[in-house]
Amino acid sequence: MSLIQINEVTKIYDGTAVPVKGLNEINLEIESGEFTAIVGPSGSGKTTLLNIVGGLDTPTSGSVVIDNVDLSTYKPDELVNFRLHHIGFVFQAYNLIPVFTAKENVEFIMLLQGLNKTDREKRAIELLEAVGLGDRVNNKPSELSGGQQQRIAVARALASKPSFVLADEPTANLDSATADSLLDLMENLNEDFNMTFVFSTHDQRVIDRAHRVITLHDGAVEKDELKIRLSKNN
Amino acid sequence: MLLSLAWRNIWRNKRRSLIIIAAIAVGLLCGLFTSAIMFGMGESLINSTIDRDLGHIQIHTKTFEDDKLLTDTIPSSIKILSEIKSQPNVTGASSRLIIEGMISSATSSGGVRVTGIQPQDEMKVTTVHNNIVAGKYFSDNIPNQILLGYKLAENLGLKEKSKVVLSFQGLDGSIIYGAFRVTGIFRTESTMFDRSTVFIKESDILSLLASQPIFHEIVVRLNSYQKVDSLYTNLTKSYDDLSVKSWKELAPELKLMDEMIGLQLSIFMGVILFALLFGITNTMLMSVLERVREFGVLMAIGMKRKKVFWMIILETITLAIVGGIVGMILAIITITYFGFAGINLSAFAAGLSEWGLGTILYPVLPVTFYLSITVMILLTAIFSAIYPAIKAIKLKPATAIRTF
Ligand SMILES: Nc1ncnc2c1ncn2[C@@H]1O[C@H](COP(=O)(O)OP(=O)(O)OP(=O)(O)O)[C@@H](O)[C@H]1O
Ligand SMILES: [Mg+2]
Repeated sequence: MSLIQINEVTKIYDGTAVPVKGLNEINLEIESGEFTAIVGPSGSGKTTLLNIVGGLDTPTSGSVVIDNVDLSTYKPDELVNFRLHHIGFVFQAYNLIPVFTAKENVEFIMLLQGLNKTDREKRAIELLEAVGLGDRVNNKPSELSGGQQQRIAVARALASKPSFVLADEPTANLDSATADSLLDLMENLNEDFNMTFVFSTHDQRVIDRAHRVITLHDGAVEKDELKIRLSKNN
Repeated sequence: MLLSLAWRNIWRNKRRSLIIIAAIAVGLLCGLFTSAIMFGMGESLINSTIDRDLGHIQIHTKTFEDDKLLTDTIPSSIKILSEIKSQPNVTGASSRLIIEGMISSATSSGGVRVTGIQPQDEMKVTTVHNNIVAGKYFSDNIPNQILLGYKLAENLGLKEKSKVVLSFQGLDGSIIYGAFRVTGIFRTESTMFDRSTVFIKESDILSLLASQPIFHEIVVRLNSYQKVDSLYTNLTKSYDDLSVKSWKELAPELKLMDEMIGLQLSIFMGVILFALLFGITNTMLMSVLERVREFGVLMAIGMKRKKVFWMIILETITLAIVGGIVGMILAIITITYFGFAGINLSAFAAGLSEWGLGTILYPVLPVTFYLSITVMILLTAIFSAIYPAIKAIKLKPATAIRTF
């Protein structure tokens, strides 16, 4: 079974004057260990798809099955809990709590999970070292560059030991060199820990780094290319 | 960590938080100080009444208060007096003989309450001896001395050493006349009292009445009014055939006033806090709206709505507590300072003395009042936080994160 199964997912936004079709009968399977980019022009439905896969939004029809569980079977509070334990999130910007230091930001999600202080601190520091910020643990986000902030967000996403990480345009606010090194980091984490990454982007350089590229257009899958096969150990 | 988050979130917008903290602090300072002045007035009215003639506890026969009959005397009063004097916390007990009578000077006359006292005992119970403005208090071996209020002296055209005649009904119903010489004129906070009361020595009345020692009233004074209740219970038990009354019963209007002040001030503080409620709500609402994206991210990564709700309540409570502590400290300093220094109200003194108040006012605030204010502030904070908190948890993470 795949890690993520997307079956006939349609999303219609009907809060607006004219209902908008955000997604149109999407079918996708994503395996554990993938390093996959969702691409497409603005308005093609990337964010909508990631939100639905991440349990932040519900499809109008169709289903999302993660680790063999249909997300629609969860009650709202269970869904929060599911996100907390199974999904790591990285957003485009404003990921972090501004009044917390890098370490506290990473710790916070583990606090929500109920880990004790010693374990939290140890893991937070390990992760910040892994994302190359071992020397900035006590800095607040405002004292760090955009790229460093996104690295903290990645560290936080991993802190909860999720099944996969969803990143909606994680490099959109970064210059290309910084974007490149964030991609390096994510790719390394993918290889070293077999962590699944699904990220959206419309930056061609970032697209080139993905192992699989799913192209959306007007809410439908236009193209699905596998560039690098999953390593055998999966 | 949540507490530290709340604390740091408050200081994100320093100016806004400081403004609301200042508003809470100033509101509280004004409210508490006004309350302290009111309580101070109340207390001073009560104390001056107790000091002037009420004492803390009075004993009469059960029927005396209704008819004020000269013959309605306390049986074995001398024994009772000495028993009471030996009770713990009792600083003084004095027996009194009370007769409604007439006082006449060369020019005029009027009705008065003649109070026969034992000068030494009375000094331990009330403060008439401290309020002499002309002449002096009773001397031991001079008979037929009389003390009267300055207002009565004015009305009758009397001065120190003037002669007056007192007349009242004797034990057998006949009218008795006695000539007295003014030894001193007193002036208390109450003009009413100064117009209607005269003191003479018990021994002088007894010899005019040609009677054995008889008393109508025993007045008891304790070292603190807080001890009144326990002695009161003892005395009611020991002397169940007599009427034992505490100052609260003797002057029910004082007790009522005491309670009314407490009630009025609670309402007054409630109004202040109610006004602050809107200010706090507004501040928290702005703070929540500024952080829509942040709440979106927090809820997306797995923070439960309940936790977000409590985080906002906690922030509001912290804000209110900071303002509350600042306000209370300022209030305690101000009240303590004026509590010692007093506030000079001599500009309004004429009116105040009609009410039995002195010209220097000492604000006081009971500890229980501070406690109830603390509770009220916390409740205000929680109420103010509810609307912003509901706003925050109504956010959908997906839409909140989209909002720039
Ligand atoms: N909350 C909403 N209400 C109404 N329409 C929406 C809402 N969110 C998205 N849409 C619409 O759904 C479609 C897909 O939007 P989506 O944000 O998923 O695109 P995207 O590929 O992420 O675009 P971008 O590259 O600009 O981020 C768009 O037409 C958009 O206008
Ligand atoms: Mg998008």
